[in-house]
Amino acid sequence: MHAPHRTEPPRLTADADPSSRLLILAVAGLVLTAIGYFVDHEQFYFSYLAAFSFVASLALGSLFLVMIHHITRSSWAVSLRRIPETFMVNILWVAIMFIPVVLGMHTLYHWTHADAVAADALLQGKAPYLNVPFYLVRNVFFFAVWSFFAWKMYRNSLELDATGDWGIDTLQRKYAAPGIFIFGFSVAFASFDWLMSLDPHWFSTMFGVYFFAMSFQATLAAIILVALFLKNRNQTAGLVTDNHIADVGRLLFGFTVFYAYIAWCQFFLIYYANIPEETLWFYHRMEGGYEYITYGLLIGRFIVPFVVLLNAKSKSNMSLLKGVAIWVLFIHFVEQHWIVMPVHHHHLAPHWLDLTAIAGLGGLFLWLFFRRLGKAGLVAVNDPKFHESQPHH
Amino acid sequence: MKAPKPVNTAFGLLAEFRHPGDLIKAAKAVRKAGYTKWDTYSPFPVHGMDDAMGLKPSKLGWIVLGHGMVGLTGALSLLIWTSSIAYPINISGKPFANIPSYIPVVFELTVLLSAFGAVFGMFFLNNMPKHHNKLFNSERFKKVTDDGFFIAIEAEDDLYHETKTAQLLQEAGAVHIEPISAE
Amino acid sequence: MSQSTTYVPEPALVKGNHTFGSITALIADISEKPAPTWWYIAFGAANLLLGLLLVLIGYLVYEGTGIWGITNPVGWGWAIINFVWWVGIGHAGTLISAILFLFRQGWRTAINRFAEAMTIFAVICALVFPGIHIGRIWVAYWMFPIPNSMQMWPNFNSPLLWDVFAVSTYFTVSLLFWFVGLVPDFATLRDRVKSKLAAKIYGVLALGWTGGNRQWQNYEKSYMILAGLATPLVLSVHTIVSFDFAVSIIPGWHTTIFPPYFVAGAIFSGFAMVMTLMLIARKLYGLKDIMTDDHVEKMNLIILVTGNMVGFAYIMEFFIAWYSGVTYEKAAFINRAMGPYAWAYWTMFLCNVISPQFFWSKKMRRNIKVSFILSIVVNIGMWFERFVITVTSLAQDFLPSSWGYYSPTWVDIGTYIGTFGLFFTFFLLFLRFMPMVAIAEIKMVMPQADPHHYDEKHG
Repeated sequence: MHAPHRTEPPRLTADADPSSRLLILAVAGLVLTAIGYFVDHEQFYFSYLAAFSFVASLALGSLFLVMIHHITRSSWAVSLRRIPETFMVNILWVAIMFIPVVLGMHTLYHWTHADAVAADALLQGKAPYLNVPFYLVRNVFFFAVWSFFAWKMYRNSLELDATGDWGIDTLQRKYAAPGIFIFGFSVAFASFDWLMSLDPHWFSTMFGVYFFAMSFQATLAAIILVALFLKNRNQTAGLVTDNHIADVGRLLFGFTVFYAYIAWCQFFLIYYANIPEETLWFYHRMEGGYEYITYGLLIGRFIVPFVVLLNAKSKSNMSLLKGVAIWVLFIHFVEQHWIVMPVHHHHLAPHWLDLTAIAGLGGLFLWLFFRRLGKAGLVAVNDPKFHESQPHH
Repeated sequence: MKAPKPVNTAFGLLAEFRHPGDLIKAAKAVRKAGYTKWDTYSPFPVHGMDDAMGLKPSKLGWIVLGHGMVGLTGALSLLIWTSSIAYPINISGKPFANIPSYIPVVFELTVLLSAFGAVFGMFFLNNMPKHHNKLFNSERFKKVTDDGFFIAIEAEDDLYHETKTAQLLQEAGAVHIEPISAE
Repeated sequence: MSQSTTYVPEPALVKGNHTFGSITALIADISEKPAPTWWYIAFGAANLLLGLLLVLIGYLVYEGTGIWGITNPVGWGWAIINFVWWVGIGHAGTLISAILFLFRQGWRTAINRFAEAMTIFAVICALVFPGIHIGRIWVAYWMFPIPNSMQMWPNFNSPLLWDVFAVSTYFTVSLLFWFVGLVPDFATLRDRVKSKLAAKIYGVLALGWTGGNRQWQNYEKSYMILAGLATPLVLSVHTIVSFDFAVSIIPGWHTTIFPPYFVAGAIFSGFAMVMTLMLIARKLYGLKDIMTDDHVEKMNLIILVTGNMVGFAYIMEFFIAWYSGVTYEKAAFINRAMGPYAWAYWTMFLCNVISPQFFWSKKMRRNIKVSFILSIVVNIGMWFERFVITVTSLAQDFLPSSWGYYSPTWVDIGTYIGTFGLFFTFFLLFLRFMPMVAIAEIKMVMPQADPHHYDEKHG
C-alpha cells in the first residue's frame, strides 16, 4: 500500500548547516589529541576511551529508540525520528573510532599483561573470556551487528521517504524485533568489555543495564538539542512542534528516574552487603577527590533534572528544556570520566586531553551526523503514521 | 433590567446535545455569552473541552506536591529520630543514620502521602462525596453516564434568564431543553 | 524488497458497530442480569478452597510453623515463594493501568479494570503469607513504628521491614487508583439499575458523580498523577522484594541485577495471569468486541519481551557468577543447573525462556488456545523461578556438612491452593457486581468520542 500523496520532506538549508564549524572543531580537537599522545600516551588512551564511550552511547541509545519506536508502533516520534536515525548510522564511524582503543589495549586493560595474569589466580580464571583475540572477535561482531541493523533501518526509512511505500513500515518492524533482542545482549557485553573490564577484578550483573540507562538518558537530551536547533532555524517547516519536543522531555524525565533507579540499586546492593571484592570499585570512587563527582552525579544527574522537569509545564518550556539537555550531556561526559579515570589516577586529575578528546570525537561525531542529515529529508513526512503525529487543527 | 427570577422554582436549564462535536461548539457559545455558573456534562471527558469552556488548569498538582513533601520530610525525620536519637542500635557497623538504607521506606511514604493528596484532593476540588445533586431531579439527566451530552446553566448565574438562556442553548444546537426543578 | 511486505494498518480498538449506548449495555448488563449457573458453581468451589485456607491458617497459628516443610538449612520455603509469586502477578495490573496509560497506549482500556482488580486480589493473597509466617502472630504490630513496651523501634535497615511499607503502600495506592477509575462507572450503574437498593449502594459508591467537565478536569489530572506515582511505585515494590534476597551475602542471592530482573519477571507473570483470566472472561461474557484478538496479540508481545528480559538476567547471572571468580558464587550456580534441584531449574528455564519464543510468530500470538496454554505455563515457570532462587541457595550451604534437601508438607501445598480460593472468591464477586471493563474509558478511545469526528459531516 502506498501513501495517498507522496510529499517532499523539508531539507537542511546551507545557511543553517553547521558542518563547516563542526569540522574545524573536530580537526582542532583531533590534532591536539594526537599531539597529546606524544606528551602522555597513557593519559591519551584513557581520555580517548571516556570520549569514545560518550559518542558510542549516543549512537547506541538512538538505535534502541528507533527500534523500540517501530516495535511499539508509536506515532508521536515520527516527525522527530530522522534525528535518532541519523545518529544511529554513525555507529559505522564509531566502529572506526574504536581502533585507537584497540591500539591502546595494553595501556587500558590490566588483564592484557601476561605477567599480571600469571601472578593473579582470578585473572587466570577469567582468561578464557578476557583475552585479546576473543575481545577483538567479540567487538568486531558487536559493531558488525549494530551497523547492519542501523544501516538497514536507515536505508529503509529513506526508501519509504522516496517511494511512499507504506509496506516498508511493516518491514521495519521485522528488523526491529530481532534487533532489539540482539541489542540487549550485545550492549551488555560491550559495556563489560569497554568499561567494566578496566578493573578486571570487579563485577556487577547490573553493569550492562547501567550503561544502557545512562546512554539512553543522554541520547534523549541530544535529540532535544538537535530538534531545537533545527526548529529554531526554521528548518522543519513547522512539522516539528514544541509539543513533540516536550514529549521527548517527558521521556527524559522518565529515564532520569530510571537511570537513578538502576545506578542507585547497583550502588546500594554493593554498599549494603559490603563484600570487599565488590566494594573496591566504589571505594576508589569515594576517595582522592572522586567523591565530589560521586555526590555530584547524584545531585546533577538525578536531583537537578528531576526537580526541574517535575512540573508538567517545564517540559513545554523550550529554553528550560534546552538547559537541562545541555546539563545532562555534560554530566554524562563527567560520568564517563568517573568510570574510566580512577583506573589510571587514584586522585582526581583532570587533564587537558580530556577536553580535546571529547571536542575531537564529539565534533567528528556531530560533523558526520550533520553531513548525513543534510543529504536526506529532515522529517519522515511519508510515514504512514506521520499524519497522526501532527497536531489536529 | 433583569427579568425577575422565579424564586426557588428552578435550579437551572438543562440542554441536551447530540454528540461531543456539538457539545464543544455549544460550550464555546455559552462561554462567549459570558455565563460563569454552568458546566458541560458527558459520559467521558471530551478532548479540548477545558479550552472550550475556558477553565483554568487544575490546582491538584500543588496539593499533591504539598502532601508529597510532608511524606518525605515526615518519613525522614521518623527514621532518623527513631534509629539514631531515640534508641540508637549498631546494625552491621553502618552509621546510626544509615541514609541509603532509609530510601525505600522514605520513598514509599512519600508516594503514599502523594497518592492520598491526589485522590482526596480531587474529591475536595470536585465537591465529593455529595449524595444529592439537583441535576439528579431530571430523569433525562440519567443518560449522562450512558450516551447523553448536556449543558446545564444554573439560575444563580447573573446572566440567567429563562427564555433568553433557553434561546441561546437552542441556537447552539440543543436537541432538548428542560428546566430542572430545585425541589 | 518492499513488494513482499504489505502495510498493516493499526486495528480499531473496539470491534463491531458499537455506539456509546451499546457499550454501556454490553458491560453494565453483566452486573444487572442474574448470575449464570457456572458462576454459582465456580463461586462455591472457590469458597471451599477459601475454607481450606482458613482452616490451615488456624492450624498454623495453633501449632506453629513446624507443620511446614521448612527446617535447617532451608528456613525459607513455600511461604516466601508464594508471597513473591502473588505480588509479582499483581504487578501487571499496575503496569497496564499506569505505565501503558503514561505511554498513551489506548488498547489498555479494554483490560485495565480487570487487571487492576487482579492486582488487588493478588496482593491480598500475597499479604497472607508474611502475615501468618511470623510465628507469634499476635505481636505483628512490632513491625510498625509504634512505641511498645520495650521502648524499641523497628529496624529500618531491614529489607523485611521495607516489605511491610512497600506492599502495604502498594495495596493502598492500587486500591485508590482502582476506586478512582470506578467512580464514573459506579455512576453509570447508579443511573441504570432497576433495583432501588442496588441504585442506593452504587449511588453511595459513585460519591455524587455528575460527569460535569469541571469534575472531569480534576479527575483526569488526578488519574494522571496517580499513574505517575504508581509507575515508580510498582518498580519499587518488586525491587524491595528482590532486596529481601539481594542485600544478603548468600551466593545466588546477592547480585546487582536482581531489582530490574525481579520487576521484569513480575510483569511477565502478571501479564500471563491477565491473559488467562481475560481469555476465560471474554469467552464466558461474550466480550470479544472489546477484548479483541489484537489485544491478545499485544499482550503476547509483552510476554515475549519480558520473557526475554528474564532470560537475559538468567544468562547475566550465570556469566557473572563464572566471571566473578568467586568460588561460592560459581558453586551456587553449578548446583542450580546440575545439583539436586536441576529439575526445578530446567522447568523454570523451559517455561520462562523457551516457551515464550513461540510468540515470535504472528500466527501463534493470535492463536487463542496457544495463548491460553502458554499463559499458564509461564505462571508455572515463574513459580519455579522463585522456588529455585529461594531453595537452591539455602539447601547447599557453605559447608557440605550442612547440606539438605527441602520438601514441602501437605500443609504447605494446601495453604498455597487455598490462596486460589481467596483470589477467586474476590474475583468472582468483582465479575458479578462491578463493571469489569472501564466503561467511560472505552468510550474515550472510540472514534465517535473525538469532537473532530463530526467535522467533516458538518463542514
